[in-house]
Amino acid sequence: MKPAPSLLLLLPALVLLPVLLLLPQAVHGGGWELIGSFVSAAVQPSRDPVVLGAQLQGLGITCAMALVGWAASVVLGLGLGIASARVVWQSWLGCTWPADLLARLLALPRAIHELIWGLILLQLIGLEPVVAVAAIAIPYGALVARVVRDLLDALPRRNLEGLLAGGAPPGLALLTAMGPPLLPGLLSYSGYRLECALRSATLLGVFGLGGLGNDLLLSLQSLQFRELWSGLWMLLLVMLVLEALVALLRRHWGMPQRLGLRRPAAAVGRQARQLLLLLLALVLLAAGLARQQGVNPLQLLHWQPLPPVDPGAWRDAVALPWPDLIGGTLSLTLVATALAVGCAPLLLLLVGPWRPGQWALQLLWALGRLWPPPLTALLLLFVLKPGLLPAALALGFHNLGILGRLLLEALGSADPGREQALLVGGCGPRLALLYGRFNQVARTYLAYGAYRSDVLLRETVVVGLVGSTGLGSQLRESLAAFAWPQIALLLVAYALLTLIGEELSDRARRRLLQT
Amino acid sequence: MRRVSVMGRERPRLDQVSLTIAPGERVALLGPSGAGKSTLLAVANGLLPVPPGQLLWQGAPAARSRRSRRLQQRRIGTLWQDLRLIEELSVQQNLNAGRLATWGWPQALHNLVLPRDTVACAAVLQRLDLDPILLRVPVSGLSGGQRQRVALGRLLRQEPDLLLADEPLASLDPRLAAELLALLLREGAAPRALLLSLHRPDLLAGFDRVIGLRDGCVHFDLPANALDQGALETLYAGCDPLARPS
Repeated sequence: MKPAPSLLLLLPALVLLPVLLLLPQAVHGGGWELIGSFVSAAVQPSRDPVVLGAQLQGLGITCAMALVGWAASVVLGLGLGIASARVVWQSWLGCTWPADLLARLLALPRAIHELIWGLILLQLIGLEPVVAVAAIAIPYGALVARVVRDLLDALPRRNLEGLLAGGAPPGLALLTAMGPPLLPGLLSYSGYRLECALRSATLLGVFGLGGLGNDLLLSLQSLQFRELWSGLWMLLLVMLVLEALVALLRRHWGMPQRLGLRRPAAAVGRQARQLLLLLLALVLLAAGLARQQGVNPLQLLHWQPLPPVDPGAWRDAVALPWPDLIGGTLSLTLVATALAVGCAPLLLLLVGPWRPGQWALQLLWALGRLWPPPLTALLLLFVLKPGLLPAALALGFHNLGILGRLLLEALGSADPGREQALLVGGCGPRLALLYGRFNQVARTYLAYGAYRSDVLLRETVVVGLVGSTGLGSQLRESLAAFAWPQIALLLVAYALLTLIGEELSDRARRRLLQT
Repeated sequence: MRRVSVMGRERPRLDQVSLTIAPGERVALLGPSGAGKSTLLAVANGLLPVPPGQLLWQGAPAARSRRSRRLQQRRIGTLWQDLRLIEELSVQQNLNAGRLATWGWPQALHNLVLPRDTVACAAVLQRLDLDPILLRVPVSGLSGGQRQRVALGRLLRQEPDLLLADEPLASLDPRLAAELLALLLREGAAPRALLLSLHRPDLLAGFDRVIGLRDGCVHFDLPANALDQGALETLYAGCDPLARPS
C-alpha cells in the first residue's frame, strides 16, 4: 500500500530530524549578538538620504540588468527554441536530427549557472556592463529555448498538417498553426523568468558585477545591518510589485500557472495582439536601457589575453579530490532540496488557519526568494561553522521561498469543496487541509520539486563560492588562482552532473504525474 | 431555525425562515431553482453562519466558539451534490475521512499510510450493497453510482444525528436515483433525521414531511401524505418552465 499523496508531500521534511541533530555540533561560540542586531535592524532600516540614494541607484542598475538580460534571453530563446523544435525541421526538411543535435548542444549553456557564466566572462572580458547581461541571457536563453521546443513539439499537429496539405509554405503554416497556441505558455514562462532575472541580477551584484547586490554585500561585511535592511526592503518592494504584476497579467489573459492546475485559455485575436504588444514594448524598453547602461554586445568578442597554461596544471586538475567534491555537491543538493520541498507544506500545515501566521509565512518566503543564498550563508557563518549545514540551510531557505509561493498558488487554485466538506463535518482545519487540498496538489507540487532539485544542483555553486562545500568551493579557489585547467574540468563536472540530474528529475517528474 | 434570514445581492436568499426537524423525521425540501434550498442546507450545516439564537441544535443555541461548533458539526452529515470525495485516496481512506472530526493526528496520519478500521469500513460498504473488495480501489476508478454510495458511506462513518443532502439525485438516471433515495431514506430513519432537497415530486413516497420553499420563504410545510397537486402548482407558479420539475 502506497502512502497517500498528501503524506508524500510531507515526507521530505523528515530531513529536519538529522539537520536538527547536527545543528548543535555545527554552532560555534560567537555571533549571536550580530544575528540579534541583524534581526532588530529589520524594523529600523537606515533612512540616511546618502545611503538611500546610492541604494536606489544600485537598484536601478540591478533592475536594468535584469530586464535587459531577460529580454535578450527571450529573443535568443525563442529563436533557438524554434530552431531546435522537431516539428519545425519535420515540416521544413522532413527530418528531425538537426533539432535533436541543437537541443543537445543547448544543454551545455543551460547546465552552467548564470553566476559561473558571470565569473568566467568577467575573467575573459573584464568588468563591462555586457558581462552581467550576457551572464543572464546565455543560460536563460537556453532554458527558454528548451521550453519553447517542448511546447512546440507537444502541440497537436492537425492544424499544421491541414495548412501544409493546402499548399501553404512551411514557415507561414508554422506561424499560423503553432504561433497562437504557443504564445500563452511562452509568455507565462517568460513572466516567471523575469522574476528569476531580478534575483539573478541581485546575485551577480553580490559577486561584484554591479548593482544593489554589491551594496548589500558591502553592508553585510561591514556589519551595517540597518543599511542592509533599507536595501533589502527596497528590493522586496520591487520584487513583490513585479510578482503581483506578472500574476495579474497571467490571470487577466488566462495564462497557465506553473503548477498547471488550471487549463490555459487559448490566446487568439485581440488577446494575442495585446500579449505581443506587451512583449514588444518590454523588449524595446530593454533595448533603450541597454543603450543607457552602455551594454555593447560587441564587447563579448574582445577577450583579454589568457595567461599561458602550464602542462603540469592539467595533472593537478585531474588530481583534485573529485569523489569528495562531487559527493559534497550531491549531499548539499539533497539536503537543500528536501528542506525546501518539505518545509513549505509543513509550515503551512503548522500555521494552518491562523491568518497572521500565514501572512508572516508569506513575508518570510518573500524574503527567502529575494535574499541571495551567499548572503544567507555569510550570515549563518556568524553562528555556524563552515560546511554543508550553513550552505544547505542557505540554499534551502532561498528555494523554500520559491516553492512556498508556488504551493500557495496551487492551493489557491485547487478545488476548495473537499476541504469545506470535511470542515462542515466538524474536522479540524489542519486535518481538512491535509486531506482536502494537499492531496490535490501533492503530485504536481512534488513534480515541480523534482524539477527544482536540478535547479538546486546548479545553484550549489552559489553557496560553494562563499567557501562552504563541494565543487563550488573548489571553483572559487581555482578562479582565484586562474587555474584554467581546473576551472575547465570543474565546469565539465558541473555540466555532467546537471545533465544527469536533469534526466533523473525528468523521469521522477513523469512518474509522479503519470501515477 | 428561528426566523433565519440570509441576504443575497438583490433579494434575501432566506427570509424569516423558521422550521424544526425532530429526530426520526425524514423531510423533503422542494422548490424552484433559486428558492433558497441550498442556502437553507448551508445554514443547517454551519457553512453559512447566522446571528446567535437563530439556529438551535438539540434545543440549545448553535455554538459560537470554533471548538464547540466543530463538536456540533460532527453530529451533522452532509451529502453534497458534487460528492466532494478525495479522488487521490482509496475508498477506505475516503470512508475514514468521515471519522476525522473525532480522530486525532496519529489516527489521521495512520489512515494515510495504512488505511485503518477495515472491518468497520467493509461493514459500511455491505450496508450500501457494495462489495468490500472495493475498499482498496482508488475513488477515481469508481462508477458514478458507486461514488454516490461511497460518499454516503463516508457520512455513515461520521455517524451523524442529522443527514443533509443537497439535490443528491440531480445528475442520476432514474434507476440510480431510486436506489440512492432508498438508501438515504433507510439511513436517515430514526434515531437519525433526514433533510433532503430535490426537484422531483414523484419521489416523495418515503418522506414524512415536505417543505416547499419559494423566494427564500417557507411556502408550505405539510405531512407528505397531505401534499396535493394544488400546493405544487402554486409552489412552481410563474417560474421559468426549466425550473419546474418534470
